[in-house]
Amino acid sequence: MVKGGFKLTRRRFLQGAAAGGLMAGTGIFYRGKQGTAWSQEELRPKEVKFVRSVCSPNCTSACGIKAMVVDGQIKTLTPTNDYPEPEYGPRGCLRGLSFLNLMYGPDRLEKPMIRVGERGKGEFREVTWEEALDYTAEKLKEVAAKYGPDSIGFSFQVGGTGHVQKGAWIALSTMAGWTLLHPYDLNGDLPMFFPQTFGVQTEELEPIEWLNSRYTAVFGSNVMVTRLIDADLLNQSRVKGAKLVVFDPVYSATAAKADEWIRLKPSGDAALALCMARVIIEEELYDRDFIITYTDLPLLIRLDNGKRLKAEDVTGLSKPDIPDYREAYVAYNGEFLTVHPEQLDLPLNVKLFGQWEAPLKDGTTVPVKTAFQLLQEQLKEITPDYVEEETGVSWDTAVRLAREMAAAKPLHVIYGASNYQWYHGDLKGRALSLLPVLTGNIGKPGAGISTYAGQYRVRMDVKDWWFPATPKWTPWLYFLHGPTKEMVAPYPKNGLKGFVFGWHNPFDQHNMANRLREMAGNGELEFIVAMDFQRTTSCDWADVVFPAAGWYEKTELVTTPLHPYMQLQQPAVAPLGERKSELWMAREIAKRLDPGFEAHFFPGNDEQTAAEKAVDLILRTGGPPTAGITLERLKKGPVRMWSEGPNNRQVPFYEQFAHKKPFPPLSRPAALPATAQFVKSGRIEFYKDEDPFLRLGEELPVHKPPFAESEYRLLPEAKGKYTFAYITRNSLYRVHSTHSNNIWMNELEDGKAKVFLNPDDAAAKGIKEGDLVEVYNARGLVKGYAVLDPGMSRQMIVFEQGWWARYLKDTSYNSLTYPFIKPTHEVYFVPGMWAPNTAWNECLVDVRKAGEAV
Amino acid sequence: MRLGMVIDLYKCIGCRTCAVVCKQVNSQPPGTWWNRVFTPGSQHHQVAPRQTGRLKMSFLPVSCQMCDNPACERVCPVGATYTDEQGVVLVDLERCIGCRYCMSACPYGVRQFNWEDPKQAKEKAGYAKGYTYGYPFPQRDKKGRLVYTPNRPKGITEKCTFCVQYTSKGELPMCVQACPAGARHFGDLDDPNSTVGRLIRERETIRLLEELGTSPKVYYLSPNKPE
Ligand code: SF4
Repeated sequence: MVKGGFKLTRRRFLQGAAAGGLMAGTGIFYRGKQGTAWSQEELRPKEVKFVRSVCSPNCTSACGIKAMVVDGQIKTLTPTNDYPEPEYGPRGCLRGLSFLNLMYGPDRLEKPMIRVGERGKGEFREVTWEEALDYTAEKLKEVAAKYGPDSIGFSFQVGGTGHVQKGAWIALSTMAGWTLLHPYDLNGDLPMFFPQTFGVQTEELEPIEWLNSRYTAVFGSNVMVTRLIDADLLNQSRVKGAKLVVFDPVYSATAAKADEWIRLKPSGDAALALCMARVIIEEELYDRDFIITYTDLPLLIRLDNGKRLKAEDVTGLSKPDIPDYREAYVAYNGEFLTVHPEQLDLPLNVKLFGQWEAPLKDGTTVPVKTAFQLLQEQLKEITPDYVEEETGVSWDTAVRLAREMAAAKPLHVIYGASNYQWYHGDLKGRALSLLPVLTGNIGKPGAGISTYAGQYRVRMDVKDWWFPATPKWTPWLYFLHGPTKEMVAPYPKNGLKGFVFGWHNPFDQHNMANRLREMAGNGELEFIVAMDFQRTTSCDWADVVFPAAGWYEKTELVTTPLHPYMQLQQPAVAPLGERKSELWMAREIAKRLDPGFEAHFFPGNDEQTAAEKAVDLILRTGGPPTAGITLERLKKGPVRMWSEGPNNRQVPFYEQFAHKKPFPPLSRPAALPATAQFVKSGRIEFYKDEDPFLRLGEELPVHKPPFAESEYRLLPEAKGKYTFAYITRNSLYRVHSTHSNNIWMNELEDGKAKVFLNPDDAAAKGIKEGDLVEVYNARGLVKGYAVLDPGMSRQMIVFEQGWWARYLKDTSYNSLTYPFIKPTHEVYFVPGMWAPNTAWNECLVDVRKAGEAV
Repeated sequence: MRLGMVIDLYKCIGCRTCAVVCKQVNSQPPGTWWNRVFTPGSQHHQVAPRQTGRLKMSFLPVSCQMCDNPACERVCPVGATYTDEQGVVLVDLERCIGCRYCMSACPYGVRQFNWEDPKQAKEKAGYAKGYTYGYPFPQRDKKGRLVYTPNRPKGITEKCTFCVQYTSKGELPMCVQACPAGARHFGDLDDPNSTVGRLIRERETIRLLEELGTSPKVYYLSPNKPE
């Protein structure tokens, strides 16, 4: 027994051990003969080589992995530790290091296939590439001729995971006039508060900066599982004296590693953040100069129409010469001042609070208040009773934590994806942003707000490889939901009739309300093409399946928003059998659609050479971020890209803070005007005056309880009938749906999909540990085995996403979810940057014991 | 020289990367795990134990404890299990007769038995025909005893070797190399200047089931934040 209360009794150790099947049965067994032949057979000389490649399944860690290749087979995959900062090594987790299970596993696709049975049944005949390609090209031409080329949708995965192979199909789509579906909002990973507040797609602090934080407040992110490679930096930050507080309805592995775990009601984050903002404002714990210089809070709001007061409307003021995507507003310091949207400095005597009459050029006056004044008034509604009711957190605790956060600099807020994938995820993010912004924790080492979800970022210019013609985009949610009245995004006039997909498993992962399977089943989708290196459950819904080369069989260029390293996936072995890289497939389809298209894909080169040429093209035309980076350097190891922060660190908004550059920084591949229109003031915006915000009462960050504007509006009788929140989180054993069929990962969780629920809820439902249960609502049903978890809050179900249907007794866990579209996500449309984001967790269900026993 | 390991449970995040990489590089067939990570007190990994009072959860990796007084070695009727000159408990794979006395004797339950031919087991699991994973070359000790080979035959017992195929070449055991949390330290316990020597001297440690007198060379540091 050690001081500090750590003990591991014999009983406790055995409990854990027995649960893992460690104490396997014993008996006696004699081996007949001494083995000798088996011990000699491995001795013949072999050719050995090591290849450094990259794991890139959109977990965002982008780990370098070393493959040991012997006689043309990969024998081991081991971690790399070759990053210039030792803190980033070693890289490679239980999933990435067991990739051999997928690469050499039972589900590898070997040959092209054409469907013969019903869709979804998985009946195919194997065909030659020639036949598969000709058939596919013909069918795509037919659909294009009948409904227009934009009726063919191409769905893929986020660009950072691989720019070359995905880029080939993006390029083909633009040339052929197809519609692109952006993976970032498709995945639900786009945190809409980022464009709304900061004008960017998303920005994140690189993990090594966690060591500089003095306080890390985690709202609904399971860093110890989903960022496990870098999670040690949070542990280290605590040893260095930082505090780690986790706010979560679930006692997670991350909560277990924190100084404090605050059990929060599901989706109660905004109420808590607003309570803390109230304390920070009332107790004057905020950074006044920071707020005046960098935010829109000193700007004046017209009380007659809720809009910001424009300089051009005020007597004696005028609109400076500014670009169209900017607007000049007004502040007050005894006089009305024009606030130039490209100059952040304002006189520091500008008033943060107050109401005045502003004289207008038409001779009238209008009452105005600062946005900060309005915020402060609104926060008065966040009373102790309200906070306790909406969050489950006591007022005293909230006040204490608010004071702590305001005092500890740098403060870093981590806001997890599972937490913003709710209908009001944007509101929660805007409320949480108040904490670092009010306290001046933006643009500084160890400070800020990060979400860490998705390898979405395009870090360099990719136009020359990706966009030989102008791309057409439409958001995924319209595809599932149908167009809405307020939609500003384009939508193909005949809808989507052809569907080409790769790098994902949409018929499980994106089958909201079962819509995708329905569209495939009823023929609404006339032609479906799948490409994958494995036969996923989605392949079963396709008409043609292309067997792709996997990682370690092709060349690919990888980056991630998490850390600023550019890396190369290098082929360790040649693609086995008839598998081909996606670039090769794109080139083959391209020349069949139009002989003129082929030129883009380096014709005459074998697929590896063509891919290297594409890497080279991206590096040469990538703009400042790729300056000085060559293919040769990348072949040797990770190359750090330029970052704006001190010591070349990735510190979001450092240039805005240090050099007073207006918001936003550039979000590639969009041009600045496209995203700068999100924050026309050039500042961090908490006040949004576009009409949908005003109509919904969301001009300032507010708390709105979940389900009222979504589930209850869609199906009023759901209220009281379905009372469990259904939360789909990431599993330790998968990266989304990748590794669902990994033999070792399945051994580690007994091959069972689990339904986590609170023991008291289970008791009320007559459910016992290990029971097969059904989670259901009016839309669908999923099956799994009950885990009675005391760390779960009441009235919630956690299901770990990613399971292929075949592990769920052929149910689909997304048949329960619904493609809700929030009007504030429709104010602008910039693909993957301002678009309707999927709200996986805005979903109510009930649970019951299934008919059959375990 | 006594090779040993120190596992820092404050740093351990329970990610099971060590278990998986161990399985991979040591060519363990389906169902076999030399190294496992538990959540003590709980039936499910990374689910808090059901207990009264405040929720608490920590993680515990368990592989061969490399006992100075190994029960397995004492019961082995053919001397297949032995301790080498560096204190590493090993199995001479050619000598093992598969009686599994060692498995009953080991209080940690870490020894694994080859119920079937591992190549067949892998094929049955569906790996590509003829494909096997793992460090591909056999390893013999100074006396020529076979202490590692990728596919052990049916009917013998196996366990963690501190990655003898790597350590004999001056590399660290793979679980130590791969631990993303930096929780594992390896080295000479007798050397006061080694990391492991320093940690067991300076920090409070526990060893599993110490009361049995096995005297393991795997030490654990407390899951609480170090002061
Ligand atoms: S799955 Fe992610 S964390 Fe694991 S090795 Fe691959 S990139 Fe790294």
